[in-house]
Amino acid sequence: MIELPKGRSLLKDGLRRLLKRKLATVCLVVIAAYFLLAGFIYLAEFFDWQIGPTLWQEQAGESYAPPSSKNIFGTDIFGQSVLRKTLYGAKISITVALCASLVSIAIGVPLGAIGGYFRGFIDEIIVWLYSTLSSIPYILLILAFAVVLRERSILGHKLTGITAVYLAIGLTSWVGICRLIRGEVIKHKDRDYVLAAVSYGCSRRRIIFRHLLPNVFHIVIIDFSLRFVAFIHAEVILSFLGLGEANRPSWGAMINDARMELSRGVWWQMAAATAAIFIISLALNIFGDALRDSLDPKLRTV
Amino acid sequence: MDNNSILLSVRNLSTHFFTAEGVVKAVQEVGFSIKKGQTFALVGESRCGKSTTALSIMRLVPSPQGKIIGGQIIFEGRNLLALSEKQMRAVRGNRIAMIFQEPMTSLNPVFTLGNQIAEAIKLHQKKRTRKAWAGAVEMLGKVGIADAAQRAREYPHQMSGGMRQRVMIAMAVSCRPALLIADEPTTALDAIVQAQILDLLDEQQKQNGMSILLITHNLGIVAQRADDVAVMYASRIVEVGDSQRLFAEPLHPYTRGLIYSLCVERDASCEKARFQSLTTHYALRRTKLIPGAVPEPLHFPAGCKFHPRCPTGYRDKRCQTFEPELKEVGPGRCVACWYAPGYE
Repeated sequence: MIELPKGRSLLKDGLRRLLKRKLATVCLVVIAAYFLLAGFIYLAEFFDWQIGPTLWQEQAGESYAPPSSKNIFGTDIFGQSVLRKTLYGAKISITVALCASLVSIAIGVPLGAIGGYFRGFIDEIIVWLYSTLSSIPYILLILAFAVVLRERSILGHKLTGITAVYLAIGLTSWVGICRLIRGEVIKHKDRDYVLAAVSYGCSRRRIIFRHLLPNVFHIVIIDFSLRFVAFIHAEVILSFLGLGEANRPSWGAMINDARMELSRGVWWQMAAATAAIFIISLALNIFGDALRDSLDPKLRTV
Repeated sequence: MDNNSILLSVRNLSTHFFTAEGVVKAVQEVGFSIKKGQTFALVGESRCGKSTTALSIMRLVPSPQGKIIGGQIIFEGRNLLALSEKQMRAVRGNRIAMIFQEPMTSLNPVFTLGNQIAEAIKLHQKKRTRKAWAGAVEMLGKVGIADAAQRAREYPHQMSGGMRQRVMIAMAVSCRPALLIADEPTTALDAIVQAQILDLLDEQQKQNGMSILLITHNLGIVAQRADDVAVMYASRIVEVGDSQRLFAEPLHPYTRGLIYSLCVERDASCEKARFQSLTTHYALRRTKLIPGAVPEPLHFPAGCKFHPRCPTGYRDKRCQTFEPELKEVGPGRCVACWYAPGYE
């Protein structure tokens, strides 16, 4: 009996190649660590565990104590541990970036797919929409959305700081993924397999969502990982400008505080926040590139 | 012709493409009939409009550039051109199926083979997933793929061209269509696999009583497998007839040229080559090519489109000015040439 090879989908192939690269795997571990930290903080708050980052409010030393063996990153103006605040900030950043990603994918992918497949008038409207949106300076747009959304409620649910932030980011950032998906769909819709699928009776909706999207979805995955960095930065900027979560520590708020602190020689809060942002950004960038190299069928070398 | 036995009747079909350089008249006033259970071959060189005719029957002409501007396609008592898109979707894959030239790209790379066949089954037979999957595995077995249950879980990139074409055929006949349109099904395959695929099509035809519209430029296949033949040149049909008689006695100069460019002399003294087995080639130096080249669709010659290359037509005033219509010159024989015997 001949041993037949098992079915290997292109995605599994790509992931296998990805994990062969050591650097990418290391970055994946770093990213996973951040996510796990955020998850842990959620759990801890839900079950009311008093441990580590959840105790960020506790007085850990004197006001503005420099880094020492007691507080590795020193303390802030209230004497709160900068280390704990930094760890807590991960929760905010990861949450915001994740939710903003989901919102922008939920808007950008269907619009891109529909515009790319149907072309004509629908496509023109969608292109006009995202061209206009992307012509407005990004920061101003996010600011505008954030300010407007702050005081509103949706379906009776008051929009807290975090929700307003990720909605603002998500609603303004779908343009990139929309463009990418639209381009890929335009390329794919004239391929033979689409014609074959139409020839055995698939409806247009089925073609788009069942045949085309899985073939262009690798773009979404790659874009997601690269976009995540931009969303973290966007959250930082919003917090820096005072529009983010007001009552909880976040990296942007810490950097905001640092504006006044630096003149007094207090550098540790800013350093900690910046280091945290830098590490996750670097890891995501490297991982995103490695992901693209592995998943893009055209770049396959093995 | 007994009306009961005609499955598909194409009448006066015209399809144009509206491009930036002008209107490309890809198919002009094409008409033919396919009987039930028969193989009908549509022959012609590249760019003569055969594939566009096939796509027009399935209403898959790429729009908005392409448009069917006239004619009727009567299939099972209905005019396909008058159906709504929804009704047409119920026909595609179900009553008329199509297989394409390039098996390497005709399958969706992210789905398993079993999945793709099962989808066709689910769409038209309304079966649930498990039954559809079982049906798919059964079809794979019927088209001659060993270890069908295992193979069904594999992906297209793990298969060779011949196997992919078999899978395409499995998808196409899974719903037992009345008509299978095969657009150059073997052009991209090597000779041995070609024969296997054609045998497979024959087998399916016998099992299901299916008609086949075989589109090809390979006269050898036509001679072996087709019952009736229509020859296309530059968007028009120039000759129709029973396969054996057409090869024995071609009436249109283009058909003659095609056959003589492949056949060899039977013996030195015989000028007119008679139809031999086209798959044996010897004394190639004796073959005669048709002079000139196929006209560009945007610059079709006036009058008969073949006249610049025709031994009788290139000097004839009538051939240069007036285009001959396709007319019946005998039982089941039509030709479009002013000087064909029996044409008036």
